[in-house]
Amino acid sequence: MITEFISMNGYGLFVWLSFSIVFISCAAFYFKTKKTLRKYEQEFLTELQTLSLEEKNRALKSSKVAQQILATSSKTN
Amino acid sequence: MFKFFSSSNIYSVIQKLIKFINSIFFLILIIGLTFALVLSPPDYIQGDSVRIMYVHVPSAWLGLACFSFITLFSIFNFIFKIKNFYFINKSIAPIGLLFTCLAIVTGSLWGQPTWGTWWAWDARLTSMLVLMLFYIFYILVFKLLNKEELIIKVSSIIAIIGSINLPIIKYSVEWWTTLHQPASIKIIGSSSIHSTMLLPLMVMLLVFLLYAALIFLMKYKTEIIRIKKKNIKRI
Repeated sequence: MITEFISMNGYGLFVWLSFSIVFISCAAFYFKTKKTLRKYEQEFLTELQTLSLEEKNRALKSSKVAQQILATSSKTN
Repeated sequence: MFKFFSSSNIYSVIQKLIKFINSIFFLILIIGLTFALVLSPPDYIQGDSVRIMYVHVPSAWLGLACFSFITLFSIFNFIFKIKNFYFINKSIAPIGLLFTCLAIVTGSLWGQPTWGTWWAWDARLTSMLVLMLFYIFYILVFKLLNKEELIIKVSSIIAIIGSINLPIIKYSVEWWTTLHQPASIKIIGSSSIHSTMLLPLMVMLLVFLLYAALIFLMKYKTEIIRIKKKNIKRI
């Protein structure tokens, strides 16, 4: 029964290859996008660290996005 | 109303949406794959090769849908000069390219056992290839040009010219004699596909839609961070 399922009446190669290509491409694209997002989050935090304490506090106070990036990174780290 | 569309609100909505999609995605993927590979019946002519349809058709639909959105937002950008459309288009284009490429590759893998050839220069296949080229040109504009205003102008022109190809893709199977079969699913009128195949196709379409939404949100979030990083000293 398993062999029948894998062979798909002779079409197994085409069916499994199609699903595999889609799955691998989508997974690779997802991880690449996630990596780029993390890279930019890190760069943003590094940039934030270069500011003086006063500038940093002002940036965090006025930008909700900065607060959220900081919160996300402290959760993931 | 306008306050809701501020970058901080959009950012927090994006975070919530990403979490929501992540929480339901794998469940729907498993349901979709079970339907597509196990529960759906083989076709009476094509046999089990018909299962390729469950990845080929959603890929092709999303490839077309992404370019339609890009064209629409390019026109909006031309008229209303809202910068957000530029970032939305920049985030959508790679997703559209991925799905167009997948539609061509899986179509080729479906073509070999069904038509006896990997590729034919027929109207549907060639017009999909043209769409892929338009996506490549569109993305290259963002990579090669530096000035934002120039990027918006050139990319919008490419999108508007490329949109001429969209009805050609849709109606190519009716206008010309092609190897590709005519549409089995119609929005208006009755579809020629049986419900035992339509249901898995719709579940797989939902999987692809969720994946596309997830990637779009992550890319759009990256754009927001990139802008905030650029302007950090001005915050």
